[in-house]
Amino acid sequence: MHIVILGNSTVAVAAVEAIRSIDNMENKITVVSNEPFFTYSHPLLPNYLVGEVEEDEERFSYRRKGFYEQNKLNTILGDAAVSIDKNAKIVELKSGKEIAYDKLIVATGGIPIVPPMDGVNLENVFTFTNLTEVKKFKAALPNIKKCVVVGGGLIGTRLTEKLSIYGVETYLVELLKRLVALALDDYGATLIRKELEKAGGHIITGDSVKSILGEKKVCGVRLASGKEISCDAVAIAIGVRPNMDIAKNAGLEVGRGGVITDEYMRTSDTNIFSGGDIVETYDLTSDQRRSIPILPIAYAQGEVAGLNILNREVKFKGGFPMNSMKIGGIEFISMGMVNPEKDAEIIEKKYDNGDYRKFIIKNNCLSGAIFIGDIEKAGMFNWMIKERFNVKRIKDYFLKEDFGWKYFDRDTRNLRISRQLK
Amino acid sequence: MKIIKVNEDVCVLCHLCEIACIVEHSESKDILKAFKKEKPRPIARCAVEEDKPLSFSLMCRHCDDVPCVKACSNGSMHRDERGYVVVNEETCIGCWMCIMVCPYGVIRRDEGREKWNLSTKCNMCPDRDIPACVEACPNEALVLGEVIKCT
Repeated sequence: MHIVILGNSTVAVAAVEAIRSIDNMENKITVVSNEPFFTYSHPLLPNYLVGEVEEDEERFSYRRKGFYEQNKLNTILGDAAVSIDKNAKIVELKSGKEIAYDKLIVATGGIPIVPPMDGVNLENVFTFTNLTEVKKFKAALPNIKKCVVVGGGLIGTRLTEKLSIYGVETYLVELLKRLVALALDDYGATLIRKELEKAGGHIITGDSVKSILGEKKVCGVRLASGKEISCDAVAIAIGVRPNMDIAKNAGLEVGRGGVITDEYMRTSDTNIFSGGDIVETYDLTSDQRRSIPILPIAYAQGEVAGLNILNREVKFKGGFPMNSMKIGGIEFISMGMVNPEKDAEIIEKKYDNGDYRKFIIKNNCLSGAIFIGDIEKAGMFNWMIKERFNVKRIKDYFLKEDFGWKYFDRDTRNLRISRQLK
Repeated sequence: MKIIKVNEDVCVLCHLCEIACIVEHSESKDILKAFKKEKPRPIARCAVEEDKPLSFSLMCRHCDDVPCVKACSNGSMHRDERGYVVVNEETCIGCWMCIMVCPYGVIRRDEGREKWNLSTKCNMCPDRDIPACVEACPNEALVLGEVIKCT
């Protein structure tokens, strides 16, 4: 069987690892990517930009050297797939090359959201989701003294921190009233803002960039409020949307949040699977199908797609947003719904040492959590969300600084620790 | 596969497992040097929980479904040739994605390195036949045993 994977990141690697764990190298696998690079770690792009990690360092790669050879992969890197003929089972590449497949995984990821505004095509306007773009940014960086970052989410805040420490005078413009609005609450967002300001960043919330100014090159931005900021670069970090034109044009079913798949990660075509930032994912905490573009979900979906190509009938039952981040001296982990609906129960505490914990509980199930400072037990709560664990008897202990398995009832604890309870 | 089994009924809260773990993962593997000279002192990869009279020591369960491996930013968390889940210290960046998903809460943060933080967890003592904590336990509250498959 010839398995073709469009994409060379988390989903592709997960699918390859899943397939190779059971197929004795019997299938031919071809990985196609528009980028000409060995699989790399997207979370390290901000570090790469400012020179904390180099492209040829092992830690910048998503897998160790030799991954392609060890897994006997054919790679076509630097040539984008442009169309899929699902009846003939052929992928056409930009170079004109055609590849026939038996099974296809479409994992073309996300593309940066760039709002329609004047000046987005000027020199020194950058996006920040792939290495090709970040390389351009990095090449220009020595001549950049002042930069405006558009979007105060997870990428925008990390970028602002890195640029500020690097020595670029950085202005972060966020439309909403607070930073990291989807992953943090007001309290957490305020702490992040302070850390960014400590690093030298200028934070503007409740305003947006209306147009980018300049003739050929960026020389400033104009905000919705009318304010103007002079700068020599603009980084757009509003977020990503599914890169699904190729899937749509092939006639695969798509929804608002991305390509539609079933629980086996199969698209509307029986020979085509998908996963990662391009698909719509069932969110266990909000009970909705939507885009959840995060690495752990991409890996889980890629693995399920790979196993089901070999008829293993494994299901991906859903996920939820989760993030781990460090800005300045603040480490936080957040998961699930952090901005609760009205009828949810909230348990929260600000500790004397500056730490913070918040839990959102609905119908005796945990649906969201925030940890700032001491994050080491966060995964236990991740497990409770995922397994829909009934927290009625344990929730009173959630705020204890020494929260642990000792607070669970004896049977649950012992079954869990001995790995006899899922 | 054998993992470290925990028997809370016979734990006497002596913390010797933690001491043995620190020594085993120190540079010198010498108790005095590990505790008095090495800076920073290694972090114990097992942790004793107590709520008297209950006590027990807990460390990585080396899961089948390895959520930490799947969430790792850059492939540092992996299964070694023995089948145990270990961190590649050369490449770990300390992003704590593993901590975010560890269902047992048994991964620690080592923030003492020069540049990159390090995810720190039980590695089943690759240089030993019997893990240091198991050997140090005076009352078989930690023993090496086969996993009973989860159904």
